[in-house]
Order: sequence, then C-alpha cells, then structure tokens
Amino acid sequence: MTLNLAILFVSAVLVAGVYATMSYGLALIFGVMKVINLSHAGAIMLGAYVAYVLIVGLKMNPFIAAVVVVPPLFFLLGILLERVFVRPVRKAPPIASLLLLFGVWLMMQNIAYIIWTGEVRTITTPYTMMRFNLGAVPINVNRLAVFLVGVFTLLALHQFMTRTYLGKAIRATAQDSAAAKLAGINTDQIDMVAFGLGTALAGMAGALTALIYAFDPNFGGSYMLKSFCIVVLGGVESFLGVALGSLILALAETLSVLWIRAGLQDFVSFVILVLALLVMPGGLPELFQRRFAVRQR
Amino acid sequence: MLEVENINVFYGEAQALSDVSFQVGEGEIVTLVGSNGAGKTTVLNTISGLLTPKSGSIHLNGVRLDRLPAHRIVELGVVQIPEGRRLWPNMTVLENLELGAYIRQARAARKESLRWVFQLFPRLEERKYQLAGTLSGGEQQMLAIARGLLARPKLLMLDEPSLGLAPFLVREVFETIQEINRQGVTILLVEQNVHLALGIARRGYVLETGRIVLSGSGRELLENPHVQKAYLGL
Repeated sequence: MTLNLAILFVSAVLVAGVYATMSYGLALIFGVMKVINLSHAGAIMLGAYVAYVLIVGLKMNPFIAAVVVVPPLFFLLGILLERVFVRPVRKAPPIASLLLLFGVWLMMQNIAYIIWTGEVRTITTPYTMMRFNLGAVPINVNRLAVFLVGVFTLLALHQFMTRTYLGKAIRATAQDSAAAKLAGINTDQIDMVAFGLGTALAGMAGALTALIYAFDPNFGGSYMLKSFCIVVLGGVESFLGVALGSLILALAETLSVLWIRAGLQDFVSFVILVLALLVMPGGLPELFQRRFAVRQR
Repeated sequence: MLEVENINVFYGEAQALSDVSFQVGEGEIVTLVGSNGAGKTTVLNTISGLLTPKSGSIHLNGVRLDRLPAHRIVELGVVQIPEGRRLWPNMTVLENLELGAYIRQARAARKESLRWVFQLFPRLEERKYQLAGTLSGGEQQMLAIARGLLARPKLLMLDEPSLGLAPFLVREVFETIQEINRQGVTILLVEQNVHLALGIARRGYVLETGRIVLSGSGRELLENPHVQKAYLGL
C-alpha cells in the first residue's frame, strides 16, 4: 500500500510540472489583459500536432522540438491572434473577446481535422519506454524529462518577470494598467507580449504532453479546464500559487484512482474548480493572507 | 509651456469638460481647484492621453499632445501622479521606482534620479525592499511622487496629493512640491484643499461643472469673494 502511494505520489508530482506550464500561460494572459483565452485549448492541441510533425515527420529530437522550436512559433501565433482577434474588441464588453477566442478554438480544431484527420496519434521516442528505479519506485525517464523542462521553464520565466524591465512592466500592467500607462509603459505592446508568451507556454505544454499521452483534434479541452482550476486555486499573479495549485490538482486526480474509475479523472478537476470558487474565490493566496491577517491581530 | 485650448471631453453622451482653456508657464506652480466632480481629474487624464478630447487642442512647447498615446506623452516629459497613488502594491518600493524610470531617457539617468528622490524622501530608502502595498498612506503618497520624478518630468501633474493624509503630512507633501518646483520642475496641481493649493501656486484656475469660471494669481483668488464663500467657508 505504501509503495503504491509512493508510486502515485511520484507520478502526480511529475505531471504537475506540465500542468503548471500551461496554467501559467492562461494566468499570464488573464492577469495582464483580463481576457479569458478560450483559444488556449487550441494552442495546446496545435502544439501537440506541431511536435508530431517535427518529431515523427522530420525526425527531430523530441526535446529540441518541444523546447526550442515550438515556443517561438507559438509566440508569433499568439501575437497574430492578439492583433487580429483581441485588440479590435478590447474596448467592448469581455464577452466579445471570450466568444471570439472560443471561435478561434473551433477554427483550430477544424483545421487540425482537415490536416491530420480525427485519427488518434502518438509520439513514440527512444525515451518513451526507458525507466529507472528510485528505491522501489520506478520512474519513467520521459516523464521525468517533461517535468524538469516544465519546472525549468517556470524558473526561467520567474527570473524574467522579476529581473528585466520588460518582465516588471508586464507585472505592473497586470497590477494596475492605468498606472502603467502613466509611467510611460506602452500597454498595447505589453498585451501583445503577454498573449504571445501565454500562447507559447500553451504550445510548449501541448508538445510536452504529446510526448506522454495520445492526442486527437479534441485534445486540449480538458487541459484548459485543469488550467482554469489551477488558476482559481493558485491566483493569477503568483508563481508559487500556480505551482501549488498544479500540485494539488495533480495529487487529487492521481489519488482519486484509488476510489473512482480512471476515466472520471476530469470530474475531479471539475469538482475542485466548483469547490474552490465557492469556498475561496481568491484562491490559495487569499487564504494565506486571511490566516496571516488573523494571526497579526 | 503647456497650452490647453477649448477642450471638450465626453464620457459617452455626458459632457465632462466644456471649452476648458488654460496655460502653464515654464517654472510655474499652477493650480486647478474645484469641488468634487468638477472635472479636475478629467482635465489631467485628458492631458495624459488616457482620454481624448472631442475638440480643442493641447500643446507642450508647440508639440501637439492630444491624440498621442499615453506613453508617448510621458516620453515628452508630462507625468501625472494619479489620485489615490495607484502604486503597484505587490512590488517593492524599489521596483516601483525603477519602473517609474521605464522610458528610455529616464532609464539612463536612473541611478542619479534614485539618489535625488532618496534625498527628498529618506524614508523611502529605509523601506526600499518593502512591498508598496504595506506602506502607510503618507509613505505611499511619497512613493507616488518619487515614482513620478523618476521619469524625469518637465511638467509634473499632481492629482489630489493631500487626499486622505493627516494635516501634518499634508503640509510636508506641499513643502516637498515647492522644493521640487525650486529644483526646476513645472507643477500643475489639482486640489480640493483650495486654501493650501492657492497658497503655494503662482496662478490658479477655478473649475466648476466642467468649465473654468475664474482665474488669477493665487493671492487674487484667495481674496476673491466667490472663492471665499464657495471654497474657503469665509
């Protein structure tokens, strides 16, 4: 039993890395622009297919494809989406961008159906079956690599957001965009960069996930739901919050297989999302602040 | 230096400013006074480019400002310190100041500017690694002013710097504003605290329901019967 728990725990931690990557993309766009990016799912799915083309078609190294090639391509895709679909409706009520981006997701799905059909695809790499044992717990090399890439990406982003002028300007725009404008920050440009970065993270997360799981053009929807759940848990502005939220969700999902069928895992993220919204609408950060405030008094 | 000519500003259908005109000369302290809702903040936001006038024009040393995006106006040297400070609460004091120097020419002078504002507000240097959201009201106002100075403004516009501050802090803030002016920065001050504002200003304008109804030197306005009755309670 304890061994089983240890195995489940390890697999939860490993999956949390890629969850955090995709959630941070969603949180970044919402934080800066207050836009809910429903095309996030489409970017995750397209990330998987682009990785497929690069790795299976062009025989590229899977991690070079996912880390070096996919993110810049999706950064550009994000900038294009922002210019064409989001900026023209920025002054309209939020429902406009929400519906437009939902439409973009549908378009992406149908494009994927046209190009790659609805057949379920998998990417098999030399690492797919490789494993080693940590004590008695078997660890899949592929999953470990995906986890490490996710963690490294978040650490690099954290450095970018806290040490560079551009990163700080992004945070300032998220915290108070009028004040950012008055400090001479071109917030239109910041919006574009945020949307590009968010989409790049989604594409990269999709490419990494495709190294582990099978996918088809509907891929991405359930990951977007998980991302929403994590963002609600972790808050939009804290790296630690997103990381903790990812870990909590991954643990809840993984441990749930002890009691319910594996096919119902998405149900777990739904329940957590609803509970979190009901009980602590401000997410974990608010919960901590509340506790801290109580202690101070 | 700053010429505002007959600007008309609307929020949707509602007219907020009607034919507002005034000037600010190089090196002056000019104040715009009026009661709550008179349109003072609207004037500053229009100059800053957050709002666009329907008609009229705004020039800074001959360069037309209206219709430029807000960040370009900051680059030309017009900096607003908004009402209610509007700091970035989850950033440190130092990060707030560094971002104040975001525009290119200010970035080059950042180190020197930091020394300058730490001299003006020694308290900020003691708190530089503290989150801005945890500062007291007076310290937040100081940080807001200091952040504005980091952009190296030619014209500094302050919106209600006395709001929500204890009287002794209000006096301190007003002394600082005069000190900044002595160091060569032109000031446009928007205030509800009419007595104090007219006391330090060379010239003033009285704004009522979106129109300029009176103008004159600070002293003239302080002695004006309408001003005394409506704003000074005399």
